[in-house]
Amino acid sequence: MSEPRFLRHSDIRLTSLEGEGVVLHLKERRYFSVNETGLVLLEALKQPRTFTELVAELLREYEVTEGTAATTTREFLDHCLATAVVETIE
Amino acid sequence: MTSIPGITCNDPGLEAAVTAWLTESRMPLPAGLLLQVEVVDRVTELEDPREVFLQGDVAIQAGEPLGWVHITWRVAPARARIEEHRPEATVQISRQALGELDYLLRSFLLVSLIFLWKRDGRYHVHAGTAIDSAGRGWMLIGNSCSGKSTTTALLASRGWQVSTDDIAFLEARGDRVSVLGFRSPIALRTGGFQLLGKAGGIPLESRGKTGFWPEELGSTWVQRVEPEIIVFTSVGGDRTAIAPASPAEVMRELLQWSLWVMFEPTAAQEHLDLLARLGRQARCYHARLAPDLFAAPHALEDFLP
Repeated sequence: MSEPRFLRHSDIRLTSLEGEGVVLHLKERRYFSVNETGLVLLEALKQPRTFTELVAELLREYEVTEGTAATTTREFLDHCLATAVVETIE
Repeated sequence: MTSIPGITCNDPGLEAAVTAWLTESRMPLPAGLLLQVEVVDRVTELEDPREVFLQGDVAIQAGEPLGWVHITWRVAPARARIEEHRPEATVQISRQALGELDYLLRSFLLVSLIFLWKRDGRYHVHAGTAIDSAGRGWMLIGNSCSGKSTTTALLASRGWQVSTDDIAFLEARGDRVSVLGFRSPIALRTGGFQLLGKAGGIPLESRGKTGFWPEELGSTWVQRVEPEIIVFTSVGGDRTAIAPASPAEVMRELLQWSLWVMFEPTAAQEHLDLLARLGRQARCYHARLAPDLFAAPHALEDFLP
């Protein structure tokens, strides 16, 4: 069975200011900040990505262990899925 | 009066009023935008299931699933439809609404134009703008009771060039962001008028304010300001205090006062990027403004950290 892929929701717009990410959720008319790690993950999620690919993205950007990158990715992904910022695609 | 290209209207009186208002504002419609205004006995209602957002007496519905922007006035029947992918607004105004012409223009029609101007890359922000004696652009951002107008009037009286006290439009200019001001009198409430201590002014009775053109305060009007310093204003206390704003605070404030970025997918990314670019190009501060500002020789400059 193939690994599920994730994608940033089409209602999301993203920008950054000095490492601070700003996420607009157009459908819900709300905005929120994300840290630099969140920004890297959301940038990557502009294209469909598996969990493994997202962890690899963090490992490319930061000097962290695979375990730390996986935990960070899982927590961020869970939050984004719960708040309709990211969706699972077939 | 010569009509403004891009505007059509079936009522000569209203056409003249709109033309005079936009001519005075120095913000005619850019080429390619189309505003079609029709005075009618009965405004045609448009079916629209979308959530209503209220901005004063103006109701806005935008986004999915219809795409186009639907603006209605709650004072008297009037509605606008701004197309999603075409730079066109079709507006119906009842004869009853013409009885409140001044308010109709600066509330309902202004909001309609704000959405139309977005289609030409101009994005509204509630802000005052001015240029100090050293040529630096300043932007004052905040709500309608945050001291923007009073401070703008003070800066004008100190010889700064001023552009607007409230109605500003962001525009990309190369890799910078510049701000176009919608020229109108700086409108002061009683408290601000007393603090300024100037005689004269234009009574804006329906708004309970007194208006001053920049020139009446010893200033010159300038249309375009490129902000180097942004001040998020509030009022309170005895002493004026200015402190740096963090990047997260800057973005939160810019989004709050340029809220239309939330309303349409079209151009939302461009609008958002412009706000971030503005935050990068300027030094940004929070300011709590107090009456001692009026005693400072260089006004806001004296309080910068």
